[in-house]
Formats: sequence, C-alpha cells, structure tokens
Amino acid sequence: MMNQQRREFIKKTAFGVLAGLGAASGLVPAFSLEKTVLPVWDENPVAGKIRWGMLIDTRKCKKDCQLCVSACHHEHNVPHFTTRKDEIKWIWKNSYKNVFPTATDQFVTSEVLNRSFLVLCNHCADAPCTRACPTEATFKRWDGIVAMDYHRCIGCRFCMAACPYGSRSFNWQDPRTAIHDPSLAYPTREQGVVEKCNFCSDRLIKGLQPACLEACPEQVLTFGDLNDPQSDIRMLLETNVTMQRKPELGTKPSVFYII
Amino acid sequence: MKSSKLFWTITVLSFVLFGVFNLFRQGEAETPRRSFSALVAIDSTKCIAPADSMRANHMQVLYKWRNSSVRTGHRVHVAANGSRFEKSLNTCLGCHDNKLFCFNCHMYANVKPKCWNCHLSPKETP
Repeated sequence: MMNQQRREFIKKTAFGVLAGLGAASGLVPAFSLEKTVLPVWDENPVAGKIRWGMLIDTRKCKKDCQLCVSACHHEHNVPHFTTRKDEIKWIWKNSYKNVFPTATDQFVTSEVLNRSFLVLCNHCADAPCTRACPTEATFKRWDGIVAMDYHRCIGCRFCMAACPYGSRSFNWQDPRTAIHDPSLAYPTREQGVVEKCNFCSDRLIKGLQPACLEACPEQVLTFGDLNDPQSDIRMLLETNVTMQRKPELGTKPSVFYII
Repeated sequence: MKSSKLFWTITVLSFVLFGVFNLFRQGEAETPRRSFSALVAIDSTKCIAPADSMRANHMQVLYKWRNSSVRTGHRVHVAANGSRFEKSLNTCLGCHDNKLFCFNCHMYANVKPKCWNCHLSPKETP
C-alpha cells in the first residue's frame, strides 16, 4: 500500500517537473505560431477618416526628465551628434519663450516660464513642409501624419526652411556613425536626407502607442484620433484650455498643450 | 499524506515557474530588440510568386510594395493564390534567411541597390 502511493507520487511529480522544465526551456512553447504583425487597422485606409493628434499636459512634465526623448531616439535610431549644426532631434525640450514665442499673454507666471515644454513635429493639418517639398518626399498621410518617404528625399532642405517649428533635422553626416545603441525595430537614415518625428507610425501598425507616451511615467502625453469625438484626447480637449504653437500661421497643428 | 503535500508543492512551484518564465518572455517580446523572424507574417513558408518571376521582377515588386505601403497605407499583399503577406522586407528575409541571399546575386550581377543604407542588412542582424 505504502509502495503504491510512493509510486504514484513519483510518477506525478516527475510529470509536473517535466512540464515545468519543458515550459521553461521553450520545448512547450507559449504559442506555437508567431503572432502576425499584419496591420491593425484597415487594409485600405480611407484618407481623412483618422487624424492622429497628441496632447501634452505640461503641468505634469518634470523639468529634468528625458525619458521620452531617449525612448524615442533609441527606438528610431536617431543619431546622437553633439554639435548644433549636426544634431538630429525628433522630440526635445525647450523653454516657454522658445516654444510659444508669439503667444499673446503678458506677464506669464514665473512657474510657467521655468517649465520645460516637449516639442516635436506638430503634424499640421495644413503643413507648409509638404507644400515646399519638390519630390513629395514629405506628404500628408491618410491618417493625418506628416510622413517622410526617405526613399524620395533629395536633401534640398526646403521643408526645413518651410517648417515654422524647427521640427526637422538634416543628416549632414552618416547617421550610422553616431547611433550608440541601435534598435532593430526601425531602419536608420542615410547621409543627405531630412528626418523628423513620424508620430510612431511604425508602432501604430503594430497596435502600439507612441514610444514617448509609453516611456512617460507621469502620463503627460495623450495620443488619439482627433476626428473621433469619443477619444481620450478629444475628451481632454473638451475639458481643458489648450494652446498650440504659432496658431496664427494657420498650420493647424495636431499637437496641443495644456499650460 | 506527507507525499501528497510534497506533490502539490512541487506542482504549484512548477506552475509558478512557468508563469514567471512567461512573464519574462512577454517582457522580452516588448523590447524593441526583436529578431526578424518575430516580425514576419505567418504565411512566410511560400514565396509570393514563382522563383523565375521573382528573380526577374523582385525589384519592381519591392518598388511597388514600398510606394503602396509607405504612401497609401496598403500594407497587405495578396498573392495570386490568395495567400496574404505583409509588404515588408522582413517578409522576404524571414523566409530567405540565408544571410548572403541578396548579396551573392547582386555581386555577380554588379548591381548596388541602396536598401541597406538605411534598412538593416541581413549581414548586420544577429
């Protein structure tokens, strides 16, 4: 009787341990087929149906935190050149005076003047850069993103002159020499093309939120469809007073700021 | 009685191990350092067209893929037999996983495509 129990016990434990080991070593995979990354959204997108936008709550943004910047620049293989002429920026921080130079309010509180403001490509609804580009390398996408087709960019830098926000950087040097921690998730650029924030279009097709938003511990950023009145971003726009950068130029930015 | 207690302890422990390991795996999958094989479509066991026509026309295929996926957002290629592929270099490379697949032929034909100026070349991937 005792022996029988012992036998049962050994059989059962052996099975349990084997299963555990098998799972741990990957012999029994968690899923047998790899998940496809076919686009999460429509296969045949309708132009103008979606308009991606971002809301930045500057009240929550910590002045010295650079987590979003480094997450974005790592994810997209943005080179790190230190000289002002060569530097490449997709997202960075700047002072109130530089971010809103034409704001009409006088006597802004010193607390606001001391804050740092996240800036990135505004993905304007009426983007001047797309008009300036002679090869249509930069263009307005179906979902409101101002995209760069690096295959077509000839490096004329008209778009940089046209952008009123300084959101574009030019690769004067081979960017691959200045990428210290390369990511496999996104290609690099080459010497002689202009680059800028792509609103994480590479992550959106995988159903992920933008990298900066995911990296932020303070929930400063909200990303969503500006054409959907029920989206989080529209709800926040409904309940808060927001600002845009240089609204008087009529570019209709898709990036909004809560001051 | 004692032995059944031990049995349950070990079973529960192995389940916990399994769970922790899976958590670990998920964490791994979320980092941007993903292999090419993790990025290809399921249906990469067969080519999108017969080898002869791919040999002759792969550049036009890639040109069309790049324009339609980047510029109009049509990211799914439907092959003649109805199977579907993501329009991506990774779809090709997931199946043609010989690291020199592109290079041997291009070297022989003395053509110098600029794909790898920006896209990660198979030679550079782990």
